[in-house]
Amino acid sequence: MEALQQFGLALGALLTPISLFHVAWATLLGIFVGSLPGLTATMGVALLTTLTYTLERDAAILVLICMYVGAIYGGSRSAILLNIPGTPASAATSLDGFPLAQRGEAGYAMGLATAGSAFGTLVGILLLVLLAPPLAEIAFDFGSFEFFWLAVFGIVISGQLTGGIAPLKGYIAGLLGLMVAMIGSEGLHAHVRFNLGFDQLNGGIGLIPAMVGAFGFAEVLTVMYRRKAELSRGTGKADRVLPRLWDLAKYKFTILQSGVIGTLIGIIPGVGEDIGAWASYAAARRTSREKDEFGKGSKEGLTAAETGNSAVVPGALIPALTLAVPGSAPAAVLIAALFLHGIRPGPMIMIEQPTFIYSVAAMLVLATLAITIYGLSLTRLFILVLRIPREYLMPVVFTLCVIGPYALTQRVFDIWVMVVFGLIGFVLRQMNYPMAPLVLGIILGALLDKSLRRGLTLTDGDLTPFFTRPISAIFVIVILLSIAAGLKPVRRAVARLEQPRRERTDT
Amino acid sequence: MRFDSAAADRVMAIALLALGSAMTWGGFVMDRLEIRQIHPASIPGLVPMILGVAMMVCAVLLALNADDVERKEAEEGSWRSFAFTALWSCFFSVILVSRIPFVAATAIYVAGFAGWFLLPAKPVAKRLKTALFIITFGIIIAVAVSTLFRYGFLVRLP
Repeated sequence: MEALQQFGLALGALLTPISLFHVAWATLLGIFVGSLPGLTATMGVALLTTLTYTLERDAAILVLICMYVGAIYGGSRSAILLNIPGTPASAATSLDGFPLAQRGEAGYAMGLATAGSAFGTLVGILLLVLLAPPLAEIAFDFGSFEFFWLAVFGIVISGQLTGGIAPLKGYIAGLLGLMVAMIGSEGLHAHVRFNLGFDQLNGGIGLIPAMVGAFGFAEVLTVMYRRKAELSRGTGKADRVLPRLWDLAKYKFTILQSGVIGTLIGIIPGVGEDIGAWASYAAARRTSREKDEFGKGSKEGLTAAETGNSAVVPGALIPALTLAVPGSAPAAVLIAALFLHGIRPGPMIMIEQPTFIYSVAAMLVLATLAITIYGLSLTRLFILVLRIPREYLMPVVFTLCVIGPYALTQRVFDIWVMVVFGLIGFVLRQMNYPMAPLVLGIILGALLDKSLRRGLTLTDGDLTPFFTRPISAIFVIVILLSIAAGLKPVRRAVARLEQPRRERTDT
Repeated sequence: MRFDSAAADRVMAIALLALGSAMTWGGFVMDRLEIRQIHPASIPGLVPMILGVAMMVCAVLLALNADDVERKEAEEGSWRSFAFTALWSCFFSVILVSRIPFVAATAIYVAGFAGWFLLPAKPVAKRLKTALFIITFGIIIAVAVSTLFRYGFLVRLP
């Protein structure tokens, strides 16, 4: 009840003309960013962080959250109309969205995607309000030992899930991120490591230049490398946009299930929206009565994918706010933005800023309202945006990639960092290395380093408490199980066990 | 050589092995701050050494599994477009920015970028008109971005 009251107060405080103006422009910009193939939510949030640092704290966070929600939702536009996901989060959306568009139901597909995204975010917001305060309380019991394992857990699970068929590449990406985090002054004795003779590296590699490079410049290179996308044949036909209540009622279980799955996936460190969408899609397919329709224009599949990816957004903010461990790549940038604006995410947040979690929930509600209004009313405008030639758009994006990181620190060196990370990011993507564990590694490196050495100092070099304290022991078991699940013999054994069950289900 | 291939994975494994070895060695020879009498378990090189060893293990596994990994279909793309984008963007960000005024650098970059891709595709008769449009576009974007950051966000431009 108190949570509801706090949430109501936070929402009331945000209902000012200037806040609503920020919601309106930032969400619309987010939808545009997400809908343009090559511009991702992470990149949008990272660039906007550099643009909003002069704004007042709540206004800046509101703008970034609207960009995040808008971009994840906007990715469905190009997934439906071009068969190219605007963001990786919409990859599952294109499976059924594009066939629907080809059948001349592009508008209705976008309407369903809008409804799915809105409901998914609302389910996530509810779980955020319910789960974040108790999680922050549990986090009070975390010491150096638990924080060390939390960091290892984040890298392992993120590498495992985002690495897909090759989890090893996910682990390697995570290790690379941790190695990057080792550069510069370390947190216990302020000793400068691996600065390679550059004084500018004494403070370490900045997260924002690194992320703008890995997600911005690398995207520009990828977009120009790829062949041009064609709009779907069904685009432009005047079909219905507003989803039928019957369809929404029919898929209410799918929406609820996908919302919960998406939020839970969001809570897992560094996993992100794309996995949330795929997991929700797979679960919906398993429980659906129209299994055969999936992949051929299933409205249920489209709804599940969009509900799942949008529910990840509030889910990813739960560990980001309470543990300072991001649930997704855009949430990682949000953590950096929170620090920039004087908010210290982590277990202390409920003591230092007791109402902040409710403010974030209220911001998410406003962003959800905005995507619903825009999604159902501006379909034609989004189609026009998709027609902007990439040859005009990409140099503008790169110019923002250059000036954005520079604006934060006024150091030309950060532009070079951005360029290096962009080139490395492009090569790693082409080699199928996921970017999320890399980012998570950069964020968690300092936590892992400090927690391990502080823990060892406390125990005079004895490793036992790292394995015997209850929460640490649980982390160790989960980490070992995750690694074991990625091993080829284990995966083969699981596949053999599942084979008869799958055959029974098919018949 | 394709980026996502067994050969590319082996080359990557060698690079990662070198990186892991360098990190381990760097951590091993790093100052142990004895003069400050820190606890031996908190030496700054400890985690880099662990990460270096972990990376070497992963590199060996990557090389050993290179032939067994399922590969996705190669993405079609233009290396020419990629090369121009990479070189022109690096030229702008590393050479032009901070050497000439940001507004001029941006106008040159944006117009050059769009012109390289769009002009050759146009019929000769329309090229002059397109070129004028592209130059105007470059100038407008450069002025808009510079004004926004200079006067909107009070950034001293490079």
